[in-house]
Amino acid sequence: MFSSRSEGLALALPGALFAALVFLLPVGLLLAEGFRSESGWTIGAYVDFFESARNRTIFWRTLRLGALVTLAAAIIGYAAAFAIVSLGESARGRLVGLVILPLMISPVARTYAWIVILGRTGIVNRALEAIGLTDEPVRFLFTETAVFIGLLQLFLPLMILSLVSALENLPRDAIPAARVLGASWWQVFARVVLPLTREGLVIGGTLVFTGALTAFITPAILGGSKVLMLETLLYQRVTVANDFASASVIAMILIVMSFSANLLLRRLAAARRGARTGTIKARTLAAGTTR
Amino acid sequence: MSRAVPATALALAAPLLLGTGAAAAEGRLVISVYGFAQDEFKALVYDPFEALCECELVVETGNSVERLAKLEARKDDPEIDMAVMSTHDALAASRAGITQPIDVARLSNHAKLYDIAKDPLGDHLGIGYTFYATSIAYRSDKVEIESWGDLFKPELAGRVAFPNVTTNQGPPALHMLGKAMGDDGAELAAPIAAVAERRDDIVTFYERSSQVAQLMQQEEILAAPIGRFAWSAYTKMDLPMAWATPSEGQTGGMNVMILTEGAKNEDLAYEFMDYWLSTEIQTALAEALIDSPANAEVSVDEATAANLTYGQETVESLDLLSPSVILDNREGWLERWNAEVAQ
Repeated sequence: MFSSRSEGLALALPGALFAALVFLLPVGLLLAEGFRSESGWTIGAYVDFFESARNRTIFWRTLRLGALVTLAAAIIGYAAAFAIVSLGESARGRLVGLVILPLMISPVARTYAWIVILGRTGIVNRALEAIGLTDEPVRFLFTETAVFIGLLQLFLPLMILSLVSALENLPRDAIPAARVLGASWWQVFARVVLPLTREGLVIGGTLVFTGALTAFITPAILGGSKVLMLETLLYQRVTVANDFASASVIAMILIVMSFSANLLLRRLAAARRGARTGTIKARTLAAGTTR
Repeated sequence: MSRAVPATALALAAPLLLGTGAAAAEGRLVISVYGFAQDEFKALVYDPFEALCECELVVETGNSVERLAKLEARKDDPEIDMAVMSTHDALAASRAGITQPIDVARLSNHAKLYDIAKDPLGDHLGIGYTFYATSIAYRSDKVEIESWGDLFKPELAGRVAFPNVTTNQGPPALHMLGKAMGDDGAELAAPIAAVAERRDDIVTFYERSSQVAQLMQQEEILAAPIGRFAWSAYTKMDLPMAWATPSEGQTGGMNVMILTEGAKNEDLAYEFMDYWLSTEIQTALAEALIDSPANAEVSVDEATAANLTYGQETVESLDLLSPSVILDNREGWLERWNAEVAQ
């Protein structure tokens, strides 16, 4: 007779085998490719990759755009999430629905829409000309600005949703308490809201950063070959040059970047928790407003 | 438990094991083609051929890199009998020992082909079945294009797209640009340097023809070198579009049929190639605006011809890069391009 332990294992087996066969094995093989050469195991492919000035430019651009998109999403996300949680139940539901709406539209369609919006005759340029900021249309398409806008629009909903659920769990009277105690709005945000919603920020930040790093369609369409990112470079190496060694190196870099971002965000959140919880507890207790 | 594991593993692996066991059946032709217009190819070529040969036609599609890699991987036991690819990919395949010379005596329609299609690789390693011109599509109300060098006219600064060096249009366009500059060395050093110098004036280095059509449609760009196969989209735009006939001539590319070394269904492959090259099929593909005819006996009306690379005069004016020049230099071009143009 099976023990409950072996029964559990047997139940997990099909799923585990499936994952091993279609995910772990191919990914492992691809990543191993980056360490293989005719003479044995080596990190030569990594050295080669980073020796190219062009690859370094693309690496930094990917990191920079990922960080900027995450930062912008956090700033806009907090504002939007505050607005949403301050509303009544039904209005809140409608607004969250609106935030989710773009996620239901194909990213390809959304990105193509940006080509029209950001074009020479698009609404952005027409608006800029109408208010007299420019005489000549500004070229947005195929620039880092276009990729930034596209990625921000694509991933902002994930940040807003994470922050809405974090803010919903914020004790209702924490903010009034801090205000009564004389904290400025900035202090309220930095010392009360941020520490108490850090989980939402970590989740949202990881989703946005990882998404921005690994997005393909947006940088491919809005940036093109003039604004290559690691993901578009990976595609180019495979489809144009059949160069799986470089592809493996890029895949590994992307994985490492994603994990590092998550770790870093967790660290930041943990450090803040350590530094802040003590004071907040003391203050809220003193004000007699604990739940 | 210990017995359950191998049993489950076997059950999961069984379909995989069985899948590889099927041997090439009799009367079964396997071809490898580009992924585009497959519905039309099925209706105009594949289905009628299957009815004619009473055999099964298996079609594999994909981009050239994937298909070439697959052919090479199965070199010793080829599953594909016949493939179509660009002249330079075909030359690469022949250098890799994947292909064998085609016995043109077995192709009744071979004599009907334009001269440039009869033996573009030498030794009949490939037979041209279609080609296309590459020139500059431009807005005739905004700019005049009489030379490849006109792409860098001041009025086109910030309003022109250029094919990326990794596309099939890239190297031929650079070659013509070099010709216009009076330096048509195979290294393409002068034209790549010229493009690098004007990098900021070029809106994008495009990778797909469809992208250029959209940029032209929304007046983002006023001119771009494109392949004739994409031209019909421009004629449908509500804009004054023109196809340039530059003083240096037009360039372009050609696709060829190849026969794999050790093909298991050689007779069927010959039958199929001859069928595809026939006046009837080449006419049907031309009228559907899918492939320009390599068969000189094909005759189409003026409206159709306007959308194709068609006619003796046009064909003779094409200045095509030789496949060996492409194959021997493309690594160098890419390196030079990446160092100077792409950042």
